[in-house]
Amino acid sequence: MAKKGALVIGGGVAGIQAALDLADSDFQVYLVERSSTLGGRMAQIDKTFPSMDCAI
Amino acid sequence: MLDAGRHPNIELLTYSEVVRVEGECGNFTVTVRKNSRFVDEKCCVGCDECAKVCPVIVPNLFDLGMGARKAIYTPFPQASPRTYAIDRDACLNKTILVCENCARACKAKCIDFDMPAKEEQFHVGAIVVATGFDEYDPRGLTNYGYARHENTLTGLEFERILNASGPSGGRLVRPADMKTPKTISFVQCVGSRSVGERGYPYCSYFCCMNTIKNSLLAKVHEPDIEKIYIFYNDIRAFGKGYEELYLRAKEDKDVIFYKGKPAKIEEDPKTKDLWIYIENTDTKVVEKIRSDMVILSSAGVPAEGTVKLARILGVELDQSGFFKQRDPTSFLESTKDGIYLCGSAAGLKDITDSVALGSAAALKVSEHLKGQRVKREEEKIVPIETDGQPRIGVFVCHCGINIAGVVDVASVEEYAKSLPGVVHVSRELFTCSDGTQRLLQEKIKEHNLNRVVVAACTPRTHEPIFQETCRLAGLNPYLFEMANIRDQCSWVHAAEPEAATLKAKDLVRMAVARAYRLEPLETRQVPMDSKIIVIGGGIAGISAALDLAIKGEKVTLIEKSDQLGGRVKELAGLLNSELTGKELIKNKLEELKKRKAKIITQAKIKEVKGFVGNFEVTIEKSPSEKGKKAKREMLKAGAIILAVGSDLYVPKDKFGYGKFPNVLTNMELEELLAKKTQELKISGKKPQHVAFIQCVGSREKEGNQYCSRYCCQVAIKQAIELAKQGIHVTVFYRDIRTFDKGAEEAYREARGLGVVFLKYDEDSPPEVIGKDKATEIKLTQLLSKTEFDLPVDAVVLSVAMVPKEEDFAELQSLFKIPRGLDGFFLERHSKLGPVETNTSGIFISGCAHSPKGIADSIFSAQGAAGKACILTSKDHINLEPVVCQVVDKELCRACGICVKICEFNGPQLVDRGDGVLVCEINEALCKGCGTCAAYCPTGAIGARHFTDEQIDVMVDSLLVWDK
Repeated sequence: MAKKGALVIGGGVAGIQAALDLADSDFQVYLVERSSTLGGRMAQIDKTFPSMDCAI
Repeated sequence: MLDAGRHPNIELLTYSEVVRVEGECGNFTVTVRKNSRFVDEKCCVGCDECAKVCPVIVPNLFDLGMGARKAIYTPFPQASPRTYAIDRDACLNKTILVCENCARACKAKCIDFDMPAKEEQFHVGAIVVATGFDEYDPRGLTNYGYARHENTLTGLEFERILNASGPSGGRLVRPADMKTPKTISFVQCVGSRSVGERGYPYCSYFCCMNTIKNSLLAKVHEPDIEKIYIFYNDIRAFGKGYEELYLRAKEDKDVIFYKGKPAKIEEDPKTKDLWIYIENTDTKVVEKIRSDMVILSSAGVPAEGTVKLARILGVELDQSGFFKQRDPTSFLESTKDGIYLCGSAAGLKDITDSVALGSAAALKVSEHLKGQRVKREEEKIVPIETDGQPRIGVFVCHCGINIAGVVDVASVEEYAKSLPGVVHVSRELFTCSDGTQRLLQEKIKEHNLNRVVVAACTPRTHEPIFQETCRLAGLNPYLFEMANIRDQCSWVHAAEPEAATLKAKDLVRMAVARAYRLEPLETRQVPMDSKIIVIGGGIAGISAALDLAIKGEKVTLIEKSDQLGGRVKELAGLLNSELTGKELIKNKLEELKKRKAKIITQAKIKEVKGFVGNFEVTIEKSPSEKGKKAKREMLKAGAIILAVGSDLYVPKDKFGYGKFPNVLTNMELEELLAKKTQELKISGKKPQHVAFIQCVGSREKEGNQYCSRYCCQVAIKQAIELAKQGIHVTVFYRDIRTFDKGAEEAYREARGLGVVFLKYDEDSPPEVIGKDKATEIKLTQLLSKTEFDLPVDAVVLSVAMVPKEEDFAELQSLFKIPRGLDGFFLERHSKLGPVETNTSGIFISGCAHSPKGIADSIFSAQGAAGKACILTSKDHINLEPVVCQVVDKELCRACGICVKICEFNGPQLVDRGDGVLVCEINEALCKGCGTCAAYCPTGAIGARHFTDEQIDVMVDSLLVWDK
């Protein structure tokens, strides 16, 4: 059985942010994503408003 | 995305689903089923050899079925992890045919057709639900012809069309004939703000801005586009900087904002053009508009599988099918302890808010993980020898067609090979992708590279990614250099490919010249103070302090006035909540006191010294009795959260305010309502007719351009309350912006109660008329030339939120953090750093950042608190080595110019021991901007990583053009 930590369900931008912040605070995180890749909806879009930065 | 993929504390479980959750908060046992990819994640490097030989072509769902992929695939080039997967439903091996082409092609032998699905159990203290949303399928709206008309797409499909890695490679074309459209029409609120079978009652939050962004972007892709129509109900540009972007689109004469919703859309069977039938709500005439392409801005709906997941987790859903919030003022709490919601799980959100909510959820989760920190040993990285002759590797990026569509990248590659010191050059489709990052590491080792140049996009977002890749390969990250051949070549010179290519070569030559002279730099560590200071005792400050205290952090809350609670404590009621503002504040303060947080009121910030991890804040407390002296105290902290709030606009001499006693602001009405007397009295008697005027001090042509975000929803809450008291209410508005959860429903309720909404034009605002009090409102609607005369007994002005001019100016100079054009404090990055500032260790939340409602203020405060504790959870902090330094003390004449011009208090004049003053630069405060180095008259100061020599050589190499 694995050590304790936190579970994050969903690898879109919100889930990634939550997972990264927890991991940066030295907690173990299990990030579960249904599809084959991270990124969620944000990875599908091209540029973001209002700064027009690349979404990836 | 890449960061999450390679963080040592994150175990990535893709292709996986949660199937069982047992236990309770602090002690959950979660069973996860890992569905089989049939490709071993551990050995797949994403080389694409398998997909090249796969004979099966199926639609790519990532492109919403518009593009194609093989049965063995990765959904998009920058996917992380890069591991391929086999779609067993499409794979021939499932049938009686035996193909196995991929297995033969795979050199690493990772393909296993018998790989079983696996179940694994994890013990966790808390759970974050970030399951997002799906796009509404508009096929049910038969009058729009989606799926029947070839050139009608949804908003997300259009995103894929615009995307460089999308089905058309980023060329803006219409599906029927792959021709570039001349006219594009966007239809807003498809499936949103709808009743019955036509969709969902709520507003989808992001689609207005998404359409505005895409209208501008479409014109960048194809400057020949003649017309873009946007059919809308209300334009909802409520976030920071959004109204400004809306104005930019409105200024474009080719982008036409057309109020109304099309009745039907028909396809011309021959040309496949589309005819849009719409009643002009201003002129009441039905018009017929031809368009080459129609984009339906489809609603966001609860993600597939939400019902199942809710059952597994044991949490409730709300009426719309999103996860239910326990408390309307907090998006984070689900109906079960230890399970938190973020992103669009509780209701739709945009990217900025999703990011802040992600940080806020992390904070809440960490409250349940006390004593569970993992300590990792430093990974063993074999350092690369960097002495001796530079061996430079150059990597040229296509960025799909973003660069390669204009710049001749092959000739840039060839050219780079000829440059001195270059020993390896290659070209990649997306250099930032997971696979290419691994390739970069391999190439560094293979060719013994000791300098790396990437010619791609902007270092602002991508330099840290490549630097980390260098570090992992054993190369000092400061031996990396970037040439921005996207922004500076393919974007700005899109119409001149040859010149763009020449310029790309120039930039690569300059980058290589600088790389040749780069030197390795080491980061320095300083200790981190674990205390956190929160400045401002309104709802944001209290929320931040409370969550920090619950987590067990040492927190001090400082408030300028003698009372905590800010504006919220005056509120009579909150939208969709039973609580009054006063009760909300009281509950939070009781909790805060129980947690023994230190609270200091009547204190002003007098001085701020130090830097991240080591701030020293001097406060001055007002004397408790008259005649006594003010007391000063110095507080130490590792991080500081600014939650100083905003002011309300004073509508001096506008709409009769100050002249007529029965014209009041929305806040003044709220104070009357808070008295909770039997019935509302204005100027001594109960009013029969009350009018609200929206956007007073907001969305101005000259003055405050921004939308104040909170006022439409507050006006509707107040209008409902008045209407329930039998008062006739009319709301004069420009766009009704009810985007929060439950707000659109409240808007509908208000109309049901007889509240009348009248739209006014920016150029023809309502006029308040009267002698000694307001008795009438006159309105002329310009387009329809309709005039209204409305008798009133009271007028309520919904006023803007504005920066606290004096306080903000003082804080700006104390903390050295910038403010935007709107006067509010500026965040680090509008999408990815909404609660951070440019000064590390200083965070921003609530209305000091931009106007916000209560729930928005709370989660931004929780996000800021979360970010602050990531810092203070460490016992030390690494300092950025790219700073200025006094390179030659003998040259310093102690003129003090550097001290005067530095924005960050970096340089100081100190006695070198013999009474002679010299400059010394505090590396922890220095931001490495180089201003002091540029101003230093003797050349005593230099900037590390941007030395004179490194800059000179770039300039020299720019001027030497030998081809």
